[in-house]
Amino acid sequence: MKLCEDCRKAPAVVFLKLAVNNKVTGMHLCQACAAKKGVALSSETGIFNISDIVGNISGYFNDFLPPERKMLACPACGLKYSQFKETGRLGCPDCYKSFGPQLTELMARIHGSTRHTGRIYTGCGALKLSKAEAARRAETLKAAIKAAVGKEDFEAAARLRDALRELESRRG
Amino acid sequence: MAEIFKGFRPYVTWANARGAWPEMIFSTRVRFARNLDGFAFTNRAAPDRLAEIRRLAFAAAKESGLFPRGHYLKMEALGALEKNFLAERHHISPVLAATACPAGAVVANDEDLSVMVNEEDHLRLQCLSAGFAIEDAFKAALKLDEALGAKLPYSFGEEFGFLTACPTNAGTGIRISCLAHLPAMARLGRMPAALESLSRLGVIARGIYGEGTYVLGDFYQIANAACLGRSEEEFCRNMDTVVRNLIRQEIDARELLLKGPAKLKTEDAVYRAAGLLRCARTLSYSEFMQSMSLARMGVAMGWDMGLDLSTFNQLTLLMQPAHIQAAAGRALAPAERDAFRADSLRKKLQ
Repeated sequence: MKLCEDCRKAPAVVFLKLAVNNKVTGMHLCQACAAKKGVALSSETGIFNISDIVGNISGYFNDFLPPERKMLACPACGLKYSQFKETGRLGCPDCYKSFGPQLTELMARIHGSTRHTGRIYTGCGALKLSKAEAARRAETLKAAIKAAVGKEDFEAAARLRDALRELESRRG
Repeated sequence: MAEIFKGFRPYVTWANARGAWPEMIFSTRVRFARNLDGFAFTNRAAPDRLAEIRRLAFAAAKESGLFPRGHYLKMEALGALEKNFLAERHHISPVLAATACPAGAVVANDEDLSVMVNEEDHLRLQCLSAGFAIEDAFKAALKLDEALGAKLPYSFGEEFGFLTACPTNAGTGIRISCLAHLPAMARLGRMPAALESLSRLGVIARGIYGEGTYVLGDFYQIANAACLGRSEEEFCRNMDTVVRNLIRQEIDARELLLKGPAKLKTEDAVYRAAGLLRCARTLSYSEFMQSMSLARMGVAMGWDMGLDLSTFNQLTLLMQPAHIQAAAGRALAPAERDAFRADSLRKKLQ
């Protein structure tokens, strides 16, 4: 029999399924843990109240994240999700990918929507970076190429090399 | 006195009583929050990278051709008084005035367009228009946004749109706000209920200088709370409907203040306020705003207050603490400011 994924002691009787960001996340829980997470399972009917779950989605990521996910951090800028929760400020554009599922839920609460339907940005012309900035970006790319080659991810390495060439051609 | 004050006009066109409903809507502002791809957001970027962002932003603003004879201001080069002056003119936020990192602002010569650099987001582009003019302000702000976006790589994702440091601004990054003057609703005690129904419509009301500021002289900044999930035009239309409804409520309230025995009471309060503005020997800014609010409503009611609506509007800017000190040509202690304010007001009203 499957054990509860939260307490790992009691048998799981509930499978809580949640579709977030087009991905289905789920968890097998025992009755006690499910109740703790706000899923009120009626002992008589075995039916739980959907509004209880919806009302607790905000607390979902807090309580349901396994310990390793609680340390969730953005690989690009190093911002921890817990830091974002304190300040309300993200660290970089990549944070939107790093904390995607969490932010989707947050967006629904803030904006009543989870998808941009306004203007589409189509990009800009070549950027005239300062020498220092171009050099810094070249160093970052070189390090990333080295790491990709080390992992034998040659596809990524080729892509990064193209980006480096592009950057260097702009420096003239 | 610092050079910066000489570069700025004594009067700004967006504070003139123009556009629709100038009796109730002082000005309209549309802003876009934008960030540059390839850089961390302001709160996590190193000072040298913020300096690079500012360099790129200033260059893009210059190339856009939208800021002829514009002001390019580096925050660290400005004193506290100069920063307060810019905040009082709504060109920079109190947050930008207080920052210690390489930040800046570009302000058009007409002072209708401006860009804050390295505030919470790398770029905050805005257009200010006189009166109730959401469409005009939106078009001008969009033109600025497109001009800068053609030179600078904005952070953009298909799902969440324009990416911002705070998720509350992501999506379109648009904030549409009207500075509404609602003295009659305030006098009738109708504001708490009105603010509550606004919040249910997804609209926020704040003080005169925006987030975290007090309501002065019955001026409320009314703005959209959400900015993701609808088009920019839809957000504009929604705000247009909300503000029109608010205008209607204020007109109703003003009519009530002129009905039957209420009229004498209103007249008395308005003329007393005008008398205070004309006769006071010291006047704090909040006291000025309180009396000015009634006198401004008096002008709208067709009574002779000694000045027209545009002049009252300009005075709400000129009577602010940093503006008073700019006019005096030196830093003044609060008590000195209050005396200077009363003096200059008396001269205007004579």
